[in-house]
Amino acid sequence: MSTAARVEHFFRHEYGRMVSTLARRFGLAPLELIEDAAQAALMAALTHWPRTGEPDNPAAWLYRVAHNRVLDQLRQQAGHHRLHGAHAPELRPARQDPTDPALAGDVADDLLRMLFVCCDPVVPPASQLALALKILCGFSVPEIAHRLFVSEANVYKRLQRAKSALRERATLDGGLDLPALAARRPAVEGVLYQLFTEGYLSSHPGLAIRAELCDEALRLGHLLAAHPVGQGPSTYALLALMWLHRARLSARVNDAGELLLLEEQDRSAWSADAIAEGLAWLARSAAGDSFSRFHAEAAIAAEHCLAPSLAATRWDKIAELYALWDAVEPSPLHQLGRAVAVAEAEGPEAGLAALDGVGPPTWLEGSYLWQAVLADLHRRAGQLETARRHRAAAERAAPSDAVRALLARRFSAAG
Amino acid sequence: MPKFLCLQRSLPSTATSGGDKPSPAQMQEMYAKFGAWQEKFKDRMVDMGGKLGGGQLVTVPGADGPFTEVKELCGGYMIVEADSIEGAIEVAQECPGLIRPGSGCEVIEIETP
Repeated sequence: MSTAARVEHFFRHEYGRMVSTLARRFGLAPLELIEDAAQAALMAALTHWPRTGEPDNPAAWLYRVAHNRVLDQLRQQAGHHRLHGAHAPELRPARQDPTDPALAGDVADDLLRMLFVCCDPVVPPASQLALALKILCGFSVPEIAHRLFVSEANVYKRLQRAKSALRERATLDGGLDLPALAARRPAVEGVLYQLFTEGYLSSHPGLAIRAELCDEALRLGHLLAAHPVGQGPSTYALLALMWLHRARLSARVNDAGELLLLEEQDRSAWSADAIAEGLAWLARSAAGDSFSRFHAEAAIAAEHCLAPSLAATRWDKIAELYALWDAVEPSPLHQLGRAVAVAEAEGPEAGLAALDGVGPPTWLEGSYLWQAVLADLHRRAGQLETARRHRAAAERAAPSDAVRALLARRFSAAG
Repeated sequence: MPKFLCLQRSLPSTATSGGDKPSPAQMQEMYAKFGAWQEKFKDRMVDMGGKLGGGQLVTVPGADGPFTEVKELCGGYMIVEADSIEGAIEVAQECPGLIRPGSGCEVIEIETP
Protein backbone atom coordinates (compact mmCIF):
# COMPACT_ATOMS: atom_id res chain seq x y z
CA MET A 1 0.00 0.00 0.00
CA SER A 2 1.37 3.41 -0.82
CA THR A 3 1.47 5.91 1.96
CA ALA A 4 0.46 9.36 0.73
CA ALA A 5 -2.50 9.31 3.07
CA ARG A 6 -0.23 8.52 6.00
CA VAL A 7 1.25 11.98 5.72
CA GLU A 8 0.43 13.84 8.88
CA HIS A 9 -2.92 15.64 8.73
CA PHE A 10 -3.50 14.42 5.15
CA PHE A 11 -7.24 13.97 5.61
CA ARG A 12 -7.73 17.30 7.37
CA HIS A 13 -5.72 19.23 4.84
CA GLU A 14 -7.31 17.52 1.86
CA TYR A 15 -10.67 18.48 3.32
CA GLY A 16 -9.59 22.11 3.30
CA ARG A 17 -8.29 21.87 -0.25
CA MET A 18 -11.42 20.25 -1.56
CA VAL A 19 -13.78 22.72 0.07
CA SER A 20 -11.70 25.69 -1.08
CA THR A 21 -11.42 24.55 -4.67
CA LEU A 22 -15.04 23.48 -4.94
CA ALA A 23 -16.19 26.78 -3.44
CA ARG A 24 -14.26 28.57 -6.17
CA ARG A 25 -15.86 26.34 -8.79
CA PHE A 26 -19.44 26.43 -7.51
CA GLY A 27 -19.54 29.59 -5.43
CA LEU A 28 -20.38 29.98 -1.76
CA ALA A 29 -24.13 29.43 -1.97
CA PRO A 30 -23.87 25.63 -1.79
CA LEU A 31 -21.15 25.69 0.90
CA GLU A 32 -22.79 23.12 3.14
CA LEU A 33 -23.34 20.80 0.23
CA ILE A 34 -19.67 21.22 -0.69
CA GLU A 35 -18.58 20.40 2.84
CA ASP A 36 -20.74 17.27 2.83
CA ALA A 37 -19.25 16.23 -0.49
CA ALA A 38 -15.69 16.66 0.80
CA GLN A 39 -16.60 14.61 3.86
CA ALA A 40 -18.14 11.91 1.65
CA ALA A 41 -15.06 11.80 -0.59
CA LEU A 42 -12.82 11.15 2.41
CA MET A 43 -15.23 8.48 3.57
CA ALA A 44 -15.09 6.87 0.13
CA ALA A 45 -11.29 6.90 0.29
CA LEU A 46 -11.46 5.25 3.68
CA THR A 47 -13.53 2.37 2.35
CA HIS A 48 -11.89 2.01 -1.08
CA TRP A 49 -8.21 2.62 -0.64
CA PRO A 50 -7.51 -0.22 1.77
CA ARG A 51 -8.93 -2.59 -0.84
CA THR A 52 -7.68 -1.08 -4.07
CA GLY A 53 -4.52 0.58 -2.83
CA GLU A 54 -4.05 4.33 -2.90
CA PRO A 55 -4.46 5.92 -6.32
CA ASP A 56 -1.40 7.50 -7.93
CA ASN A 57 -2.73 10.95 -7.18
CA PRO A 58 -4.84 10.73 -4.02
CA ALA A 59 -5.67 14.45 -4.00
CA ALA A 60 -6.97 14.33 -7.57
CA TRP A 61 -8.99 11.20 -6.79
CA LEU A 62 -10.62 12.86 -3.80
CA TYR A 63 -11.37 16.01 -5.71
CA ARG A 64 -13.00 14.07 -8.53
CA VAL A 65 -15.25 12.15 -6.14
CA ALA A 66 -16.26 15.30 -4.26
CA HIS A 67 -16.77 17.29 -7.45
CA ASN A 68 -19.03 14.66 -9.00
CA ARG A 69 -21.01 14.46 -5.83
CA VAL A 70 -21.61 18.21 -5.76
CA LEU A 71 -22.68 18.11 -9.39
CA ASP A 72 -25.10 15.24 -8.73
CA GLN A 73 -26.62 17.02 -5.77
CA LEU A 74 -26.99 20.27 -7.68
CA ARG A 75 -28.63 18.44 -10.57
CA GLN A 76 -31.07 16.83 -8.18
CA GLN A 77 -31.87 20.20 -6.66
CA ALA A 78 -32.26 21.67 -10.12
CA GLY A 79 -34.69 18.91 -11.05
CA HIS A 80 -36.57 19.63 -7.89
CA HIS A 81 -36.69 23.32 -8.71
CA ARG A 82 -37.97 22.59 -12.21
CA LEU A 83 -40.76 20.46 -10.79
CA HIS A 84 -41.82 23.42 -8.75
CA GLY A 85 -41.52 25.81 -11.63
CA ALA A 86 -38.71 27.75 -10.03
CA HIS A 87 -35.45 28.35 -11.78
CA ALA A 88 -32.30 26.81 -10.45
CA PRO A 89 -29.82 29.48 -9.55
CA GLU A 90 -27.18 26.97 -8.47
CA LEU A 91 -26.69 25.71 -11.98
CA ARG A 92 -25.76 28.98 -13.53
CA PRO A 93 -22.33 28.48 -15.02
CA ALA A 94 -20.00 28.83 -12.08
CA ARG A 95 -17.39 31.54 -12.07
CA GLN A 96 -14.96 29.66 -14.19
CA ASP A 97 -12.82 32.59 -15.15
CA PRO A 98 -12.54 34.46 -11.92
CA THR A 99 -12.21 38.19 -11.93
CA ASP A 100 -9.08 37.93 -9.84
CA PRO A 101 -6.47 36.53 -12.20
CA ALA A 102 -3.81 36.99 -9.56
CA LEU A 103 -5.59 34.30 -7.60
CA ALA A 104 -6.52 32.00 -10.47
CA GLY A 105 -5.69 28.38 -10.74
CA ASP A 106 -3.51 26.87 -8.13
CA VAL A 107 -4.69 24.95 -5.10
CA ALA A 108 -2.62 27.06 -2.72
CA ASP A 109 -4.42 30.07 -4.14
CA ASP A 110 -7.79 28.43 -3.61
CA LEU A 111 -6.93 27.92 0.04
CA LEU A 112 -5.72 31.47 0.40
CA ARG A 113 -8.81 32.79 -1.32
CA MET A 114 -10.95 30.78 1.10
CA LEU A 115 -9.01 32.26 4.01
CA PHE A 116 -9.91 35.71 2.75
CA VAL A 117 -13.52 34.63 2.34
CA CYS A 118 -13.59 33.43 5.97
CA CYS A 119 -12.38 36.88 7.00
CA ASP A 120 -15.18 38.69 5.21
CA PRO A 121 -16.10 41.76 7.28
CA VAL A 122 -19.75 40.63 7.27
CA VAL A 123 -18.64 37.66 9.39
CA PRO A 124 -18.15 38.42 13.12
CA PRO A 125 -14.52 37.83 14.24
CA ALA A 126 -15.34 34.93 16.57
CA SER A 127 -17.10 33.27 13.66
CA GLN A 128 -14.20 33.95 11.30
CA LEU A 129 -11.92 31.88 13.49
CA ALA A 130 -14.40 29.03 13.84
CA LEU A 131 -15.02 29.02 10.10
CA ALA A 132 -11.30 28.93 9.29
CA LEU A 133 -10.82 26.04 11.69
CA LYS A 134 -13.71 24.18 10.13
CA ILE A 135 -13.12 24.84 6.46
CA LEU A 136 -9.39 25.34 6.09
CA CYS A 137 -8.07 23.15 8.88
CA GLY A 138 -10.70 20.42 8.59
CA PHE A 139 -11.64 20.28 12.27
CA SER A 140 -15.09 19.02 13.26
CA VAL A 141 -17.41 20.97 15.55
CA PRO A 142 -16.49 18.90 18.64
CA GLU A 143 -12.79 19.27 17.80
CA ILE A 144 -13.12 23.04 17.49
CA ALA A 145 -15.04 23.24 20.76
CA HIS A 146 -12.32 21.18 22.44
CA ARG A 147 -9.61 23.48 21.12
CA LEU A 148 -11.31 26.79 21.86
CA PHE A 149 -12.65 25.76 25.27
CA VAL A 150 -16.22 26.55 24.33
CA SER A 151 -19.31 24.42 24.00
CA GLU A 152 -20.22 22.63 20.81
CA ALA A 153 -23.42 24.63 20.71
CA ASN A 154 -21.35 27.80 20.78
CA VAL A 155 -19.18 26.64 17.87
CA TYR A 156 -22.23 25.56 15.95
CA LYS A 157 -23.82 28.95 16.47
CA ARG A 158 -20.67 30.74 15.34
CA LEU A 159 -20.52 28.64 12.20
CA GLN A 160 -24.17 29.18 11.41
CA ARG A 161 -23.71 32.93 11.79
CA ALA A 162 -20.73 32.84 9.45
CA LYS A 163 -22.49 30.75 6.87
CA SER A 164 -25.65 32.77 6.75
CA ALA A 165 -23.61 35.96 6.42
CA LEU A 166 -21.65 34.41 3.57
CA ARG A 167 -24.77 33.10 1.87
CA GLU A 168 -26.21 36.57 1.77
CA ARG A 169 -22.90 37.85 0.50
CA ALA A 170 -22.72 35.20 -2.22
CA THR A 171 -25.72 36.62 -3.99
CA LEU A 172 -24.15 40.02 -4.39
CA ASP A 173 -20.54 38.92 -4.55
CA GLY A 174 -18.43 41.42 -6.36
CA GLY A 175 -15.44 39.10 -6.35
CA LEU A 176 -12.20 39.47 -4.54
CA ASP A 177 -9.86 41.62 -6.58
CA LEU A 178 -6.48 42.68 -5.34
CA PRO A 179 -7.59 45.93 -3.67
CA ALA A 180 -10.38 44.06 -1.88
CA LEU A 181 -7.89 41.45 -0.75
CA ALA A 182 -5.47 44.08 0.48
CA ALA A 183 -8.21 45.77 2.46
CA ARG A 184 -9.03 42.48 4.12
CA ARG A 185 -5.43 41.54 4.92
CA PRO A 186 -5.41 42.93 8.48
CA ALA A 187 -8.46 40.80 9.30
CA VAL A 188 -6.71 37.75 7.86
CA GLU A 189 -3.62 38.48 9.93
CA GLY A 190 -5.85 38.91 12.97
CA VAL A 191 -7.42 35.49 12.50
CA LEU A 192 -4.03 33.84 12.00
CA TYR A 193 -2.78 35.55 15.15
CA GLN A 194 -5.85 34.40 17.06
CA LEU A 195 -5.39 30.86 15.75
CA PHE A 196 -1.77 30.88 16.83
CA THR A 197 -2.37 32.26 20.31
CA GLU A 198 -5.20 29.77 20.86
CA GLY A 199 -2.48 27.16 20.56
CA TYR A 200 0.37 29.01 22.21
CA LEU A 201 -1.32 30.51 25.24
CA SER A 202 -3.92 27.86 25.79
CA SER A 203 -3.85 26.04 29.09
CA HIS A 204 -4.88 22.93 27.20
CA PRO A 205 -3.09 19.99 28.74
CA GLY A 206 -2.35 18.35 25.41
CA LEU A 207 0.85 19.79 23.99
CA ALA A 208 0.27 18.04 20.67
CA ILE A 209 -3.09 19.72 20.31
CA ARG A 210 -1.62 23.13 21.03
CA ALA A 211 1.29 22.63 18.67
CA GLU A 212 -1.19 21.61 16.00
CA LEU A 213 -3.03 24.92 16.20
CA CYS A 214 0.25 26.85 16.05
CA ASP A 215 1.33 24.85 13.04
CA GLU A 216 -1.97 25.47 11.27
CA ALA A 217 -1.45 29.21 11.78
CA LEU A 218 2.07 28.93 10.41
CA ARG A 219 0.92 26.91 7.41
CA LEU A 220 -1.71 29.49 6.48
CA GLY A 221 0.68 32.34 7.29
CA HIS A 222 3.21 31.02 4.81
CA LEU A 223 0.48 30.74 2.24
CA LEU A 224 -0.32 34.41 2.81
CA ALA A 225 3.31 35.51 2.64
CA ALA A 226 3.76 33.65 -0.67
CA HIS A 227 1.09 35.80 -2.32
CA PRO A 228 1.59 39.40 -3.46
CA VAL A 229 -1.15 40.58 -1.10
CA GLY A 230 0.74 39.20 1.89
CA GLN A 231 4.12 40.47 0.89
CA GLY A 232 4.43 43.26 3.39
CA PRO A 233 6.11 44.02 6.72
CA SER A 234 3.17 43.17 8.96
CA THR A 235 2.68 39.67 7.52
CA TYR A 236 6.41 39.03 7.76
CA ALA A 237 6.46 40.26 11.36
CA LEU A 238 3.50 37.99 12.13
CA LEU A 239 5.42 35.01 10.77
CA ALA A 240 8.48 36.08 12.74
CA LEU A 241 6.59 36.19 16.03
CA MET A 242 4.88 32.87 15.35
CA TRP A 243 8.19 31.13 14.62
CA LEU A 244 9.94 32.70 17.62
CA HIS A 245 7.15 31.54 19.93
CA ARG A 246 6.85 28.16 18.23
CA ALA A 247 10.56 27.60 18.83
CA ARG A 248 9.94 27.60 22.57
CA LEU A 249 6.54 25.90 22.73
CA SER A 250 7.61 22.41 23.77
CA ALA A 251 10.08 23.79 26.31
CA ARG A 252 7.21 25.56 28.07
CA VAL A 253 5.93 22.33 29.56
CA ASN A 254 7.67 19.45 31.30
CA ASP A 255 7.16 15.76 30.56
CA ALA A 256 4.11 15.70 32.78
CA GLY A 257 2.57 18.48 30.71
CA GLU A 258 2.93 21.09 33.44
CA LEU A 259 3.64 24.67 32.46
CA LEU A 260 7.17 25.85 33.21
CA LEU A 261 8.37 29.27 34.26
CA LEU A 262 10.81 31.01 31.96
CA GLU A 263 13.60 30.45 34.48
CA GLU A 264 12.78 26.74 34.64
CA GLN A 265 12.88 26.22 30.90
CA ASP A 266 15.71 24.33 29.30
CA ARG A 267 16.96 26.81 26.74
CA SER A 268 18.80 24.10 24.86
CA ALA A 269 15.39 22.58 24.10
CA TRP A 270 14.37 25.66 22.15
CA SER A 271 14.39 24.90 18.44
CA ALA A 272 17.36 26.57 16.79
CA ASP A 273 15.85 26.05 13.34
CA ALA A 274 12.61 27.74 14.31
CA ILE A 275 14.50 30.62 15.90
CA ALA A 276 16.57 31.04 12.74
CA GLU A 277 13.40 31.00 10.65
CA GLY A 278 11.82 33.60 12.94
CA LEU A 279 14.83 35.87 12.82
CA ALA A 280 14.92 35.67 9.02
CA TRP A 281 11.28 36.78 8.83
CA LEU A 282 11.98 39.49 11.38
CA ALA A 283 14.82 40.82 9.22
CA ARG A 284 12.52 40.80 6.20
CA SER A 285 9.81 42.59 8.18
CA ALA A 286 12.17 45.47 8.92
CA ALA A 287 11.95 46.78 5.35
CA GLY A 288 10.20 50.12 5.21
CA ASP A 289 9.29 52.23 8.19
CA SER A 290 6.11 50.57 9.35
CA PHE A 291 6.04 49.19 12.87
CA SER A 292 3.04 47.00 13.70
CA ARG A 293 1.98 45.27 16.89
CA PHE A 294 3.41 42.13 15.34
CA HIS A 295 6.81 43.80 15.05
CA ALA A 296 6.78 44.66 18.74
CA GLU A 297 5.79 41.20 19.85
CA ALA A 298 8.24 39.52 17.47
CA ALA A 299 11.09 41.74 18.68
CA ILE A 300 10.34 40.88 22.31
CA ALA A 301 10.25 37.17 21.46
CA ALA A 302 13.55 37.58 19.62
CA GLU A 303 15.14 39.15 22.69
CA HIS A 304 14.16 36.13 24.76
CA CYS A 305 15.30 33.70 22.08
CA LEU A 306 18.68 35.38 21.76
CA ALA A 307 19.38 35.78 25.47
CA PRO A 308 21.90 33.13 26.58
CA SER A 309 20.31 32.97 30.04
CA LEU A 310 17.55 34.56 32.04
CA ALA A 311 20.09 36.76 33.84
CA ALA A 312 21.69 37.87 30.58
CA THR A 313 18.36 38.94 29.08
CA ARG A 314 18.32 42.54 27.83
CA TRP A 315 15.44 43.60 30.04
CA ASP A 316 15.92 47.31 29.30
CA LYS A 317 15.45 46.58 25.60
CA ILE A 318 12.39 44.46 26.33
CA ALA A 319 10.90 47.23 28.49
CA GLU A 320 11.39 49.62 25.59
CA LEU A 321 9.70 47.23 23.16
CA TYR A 322 6.70 46.83 25.46
CA ALA A 323 6.39 50.60 25.52
CA LEU A 324 6.48 50.67 21.71
CA TRP A 325 3.89 47.90 21.59
CA ASP A 326 1.69 49.88 23.96
CA ALA A 327 2.06 52.87 21.66
CA VAL A 328 0.90 51.04 18.51
CA GLU A 329 -1.67 48.95 20.35
CA PRO A 330 -2.54 50.40 23.74
CA SER A 331 -3.29 47.76 26.33
CA PRO A 332 -2.74 47.51 30.09
CA LEU A 333 -1.36 44.04 29.39
CA HIS A 334 1.55 45.60 27.53
CA GLN A 335 2.10 48.02 30.41
CA LEU A 336 2.15 45.03 32.71
CA GLY A 337 4.75 43.37 30.50
CA ARG A 338 6.79 46.52 30.57
CA ALA A 339 6.62 46.69 34.37
CA VAL A 340 7.92 43.13 34.65
CA ALA A 341 10.84 43.97 32.36
CA VAL A 342 11.54 47.23 34.22
CA ALA A 343 11.58 45.34 37.53
CA GLU A 344 14.14 42.93 36.12
CA ALA A 345 16.26 45.76 34.78
CA GLU A 346 15.98 48.30 37.61
CA GLY A 347 14.47 46.52 40.59
CA PRO A 348 10.98 45.81 41.95
CA GLU A 349 10.30 49.39 43.12
CA ALA A 350 10.85 50.67 39.57
CA GLY A 351 8.57 47.91 38.31
CA LEU A 352 5.82 48.92 40.74
CA ALA A 353 6.32 52.56 39.82
CA ALA A 354 5.79 51.63 36.17
CA LEU A 355 2.36 50.35 37.13
CA ASP A 356 1.43 53.54 38.97
CA GLY A 357 -1.41 55.15 37.19
CA VAL A 358 -2.30 52.05 35.17
CA GLY A 359 -5.91 51.67 36.11
CA PRO A 360 -6.43 48.04 35.16
CA PRO A 361 -9.85 47.27 33.68
CA THR A 362 -11.90 44.83 35.74
CA TRP A 363 -11.10 41.82 33.54
CA LEU A 364 -7.39 42.38 34.05
CA GLU A 365 -7.56 43.27 37.72
CA GLY A 366 -9.48 40.07 38.30
CA SER A 367 -6.99 37.98 36.34
CA TYR A 368 -4.33 35.76 37.87
CA LEU A 369 -1.70 37.39 35.67
CA TRP A 370 -2.14 40.87 37.10
CA GLN A 371 -2.42 39.60 40.67
CA ALA A 372 0.61 37.31 40.34
CA VAL A 373 2.83 40.06 38.99
CA LEU A 374 1.79 42.39 41.81
CA ALA A 375 2.36 39.64 44.38
CA ASP A 376 5.82 39.04 43.00
CA LEU A 377 6.84 42.69 42.80
CA HIS A 378 5.54 43.53 46.27
CA ARG A 379 7.27 40.53 47.79
CA ARG A 380 10.56 41.48 46.19
CA ALA A 381 10.09 45.04 47.42
CA GLY A 382 9.65 43.69 50.96
CA GLN A 383 5.93 44.53 51.22
CA LEU A 384 4.96 41.09 52.42
CA GLU A 385 1.43 41.79 53.62
CA THR A 386 0.36 43.31 50.29
CA ALA A 387 2.18 40.50 48.49
CA ARG A 388 0.19 37.88 50.40
CA ARG A 389 -3.08 39.55 49.52
CA HIS A 390 -2.28 39.55 45.79
CA ARG A 391 -1.00 36.02 45.96
CA ALA A 392 -4.28 34.79 47.39
CA ALA A 393 -6.17 36.67 44.69
CA ALA A 394 -3.95 35.16 41.99
CA GLU A 395 -4.55 31.64 43.26
CA ARG A 396 -8.29 32.22 43.37
CA ALA A 397 -8.31 33.51 39.79
CA ALA A 398 -6.13 30.78 38.26
CA PRO A 399 -8.07 29.45 35.26
CA SER A 400 -6.68 25.92 35.37
CA ASP A 401 -4.85 23.47 37.58
CA ALA A 402 -1.78 23.87 35.39
CA VAL A 403 -1.68 27.59 36.09
CA ARG A 404 -2.40 27.05 39.79
CA ALA A 405 0.56 24.65 40.01
CA LEU A 406 2.73 27.17 38.20
CA LEU A 407 1.82 29.90 40.67
CA ALA A 408 2.45 27.64 43.63
CA ARG A 409 5.95 26.86 42.33
CA ARG A 410 6.72 30.45 41.59
CA PHE A 411 5.63 31.61 45.03
CA SER A 412 7.25 28.77 46.94
CA ALA A 413 10.53 29.12 45.05
CA ALA A 414 10.42 32.75 46.09
CA GLY A 415 10.01 31.67 49.71
CA MET B 1 -6.25 -24.41 4.98
CA PRO B 2 -9.92 -23.82 5.78
CA LYS B 3 -11.48 -20.67 4.47
CA PHE B 4 -14.06 -18.61 6.27
CA LEU B 5 -16.69 -16.24 5.01
CA CYS B 6 -17.04 -13.22 7.27
CA LEU B 7 -20.34 -11.40 6.91
CA GLN B 8 -20.86 -8.00 8.41
CA ARG B 9 -24.24 -8.05 10.10
CA SER B 10 -26.30 -5.02 10.98
CA LEU B 11 -27.63 -5.52 14.47
CA PRO B 12 -30.36 -3.72 16.33
CA SER B 13 -28.75 -1.23 18.64
CA THR B 14 -29.93 1.07 21.36
CA ALA B 15 -26.72 3.09 21.28
CA THR B 16 -27.43 6.58 20.09
CA SER B 17 -23.80 7.50 19.62
CA GLY B 18 -22.01 6.84 16.36
CA GLY B 19 -24.58 8.85 14.46
CA ASP B 20 -22.01 11.64 14.11
CA LYS B 21 -19.88 11.55 11.03
CA PRO B 22 -16.23 11.01 11.80
CA SER B 23 -14.03 14.07 11.43
CA PRO B 24 -11.17 14.10 8.90
CA ALA B 25 -8.68 13.61 11.73
CA GLN B 26 -10.64 10.64 13.01
CA MET B 27 -10.82 9.22 9.50
CA GLN B 28 -7.08 9.48 9.21
CA GLU B 29 -6.76 7.58 12.45
CA MET B 30 -9.16 4.90 11.20
CA TYR B 31 -7.22 4.65 7.98
CA ALA B 32 -3.97 4.11 9.85
CA LYS B 33 -5.58 1.50 12.11
CA PHE B 34 -7.05 -0.26 9.12
CA GLY B 35 -3.66 -0.29 7.41
CA ALA B 36 -2.04 -1.79 10.51
CA TRP B 37 -4.76 -4.43 10.74
CA GLN B 38 -4.34 -5.32 7.08
CA GLU B 39 -0.63 -5.62 7.50
CA LYS B 40 -0.98 -7.81 10.58
CA PHE B 41 -3.33 -10.29 8.93
CA LYS B 42 -2.20 -10.11 5.31
CA ASP B 43 -1.27 -13.80 5.32
CA ARG B 44 -4.79 -14.81 6.33
CA MET B 45 -6.64 -12.55 3.91
CA VAL B 46 -7.99 -14.33 0.85
CA ASP B 47 -10.42 -11.68 -0.36
CA MET B 48 -10.82 -8.25 1.18
CA GLY B 49 -14.35 -8.32 -0.14
CA GLY B 50 -16.33 -5.12 0.23
CA LYS B 51 -19.70 -3.55 0.84
CA LEU B 52 -22.69 -5.18 -0.78
CA GLY B 53 -24.66 -3.10 -3.25
CA GLY B 54 -28.12 -3.60 -4.73
CA GLY B 55 -28.91 -7.05 -6.11
CA GLN B 56 -31.60 -9.16 -7.63
CA LEU B 57 -32.89 -12.54 -6.64
CA VAL B 58 -33.13 -14.85 -9.62
CA THR B 59 -35.70 -17.63 -9.29
CA VAL B 60 -37.74 -19.92 -11.42
CA PRO B 61 -40.88 -18.18 -12.64
CA GLY B 62 -43.69 -18.25 -10.14
CA ALA B 63 -41.61 -18.76 -7.02
CA ASP B 64 -43.66 -17.88 -4.02
CA GLY B 65 -42.09 -14.60 -2.93
CA PRO B 66 -41.37 -12.07 -1.66
CA PHE B 67 -38.12 -13.25 -0.10
CA THR B 68 -35.85 -11.52 2.39
CA GLU B 69 -33.03 -9.74 0.65
CA VAL B 70 -29.58 -10.70 1.87
CA LYS B 71 -28.62 -7.03 1.91
CA GLU B 72 -31.08 -6.41 4.70
CA LEU B 73 -29.12 -8.77 6.90
CA CYS B 74 -25.62 -8.35 5.64
CA GLY B 75 -23.66 -5.21 4.75
CA GLY B 76 -20.43 -6.64 3.45
CA TYR B 77 -18.15 -9.61 3.34
CA MET B 78 -14.56 -10.80 3.33
CA ILE B 79 -12.92 -14.20 3.07
CA VAL B 80 -10.10 -15.21 5.37
CA GLU B 81 -8.00 -18.30 5.70
CA ALA B 82 -7.15 -19.81 9.08
CA ASP B 83 -6.36 -23.07 10.83
CA SER B 84 -9.54 -22.86 12.82
CA ILE B 85 -12.58 -20.71 13.27
CA GLU B 86 -10.83 -19.04 16.20
CA GLY B 87 -8.12 -17.81 13.81
CA ALA B 88 -10.77 -16.33 11.55
CA ILE B 89 -12.63 -14.77 14.47
CA GLU B 90 -9.43 -13.08 15.55
CA VAL B 91 -9.16 -11.35 12.17
CA ALA B 92 -12.76 -10.15 12.37
CA GLN B 93 -12.47 -9.19 16.02
CA GLU B 94 -9.53 -6.90 15.38
CA CYS B 95 -10.89 -5.33 12.20
CA PRO B 96 -11.34 -1.63 13.05
CA GLY B 97 -14.95 -0.58 13.16
CA LEU B 98 -16.41 -3.99 12.35
CA ILE B 99 -17.53 -5.09 15.81
CA ARG B 100 -19.37 -2.22 17.49
CA PRO B 101 -22.88 -1.36 18.65
CA GLY B 102 -25.12 -1.94 15.68
CA SER B 103 -22.65 -4.07 13.77
CA GLY B 104 -21.36 -7.57 14.23
CA CYS B 105 -19.71 -10.23 12.14
CA GLU B 106 -20.82 -13.73 11.38
CA VAL B 107 -17.89 -16.04 10.71
CA ILE B 108 -18.86 -19.08 8.63
CA GLU B 109 -16.62 -21.91 7.50
CA ILE B 110 -16.69 -22.57 3.79
CA GLU B 111 -16.76 -26.33 3.63
CA THR B 112 -14.61 -28.02 1.05
CA PRO B 113 -14.85 -31.68 0.32
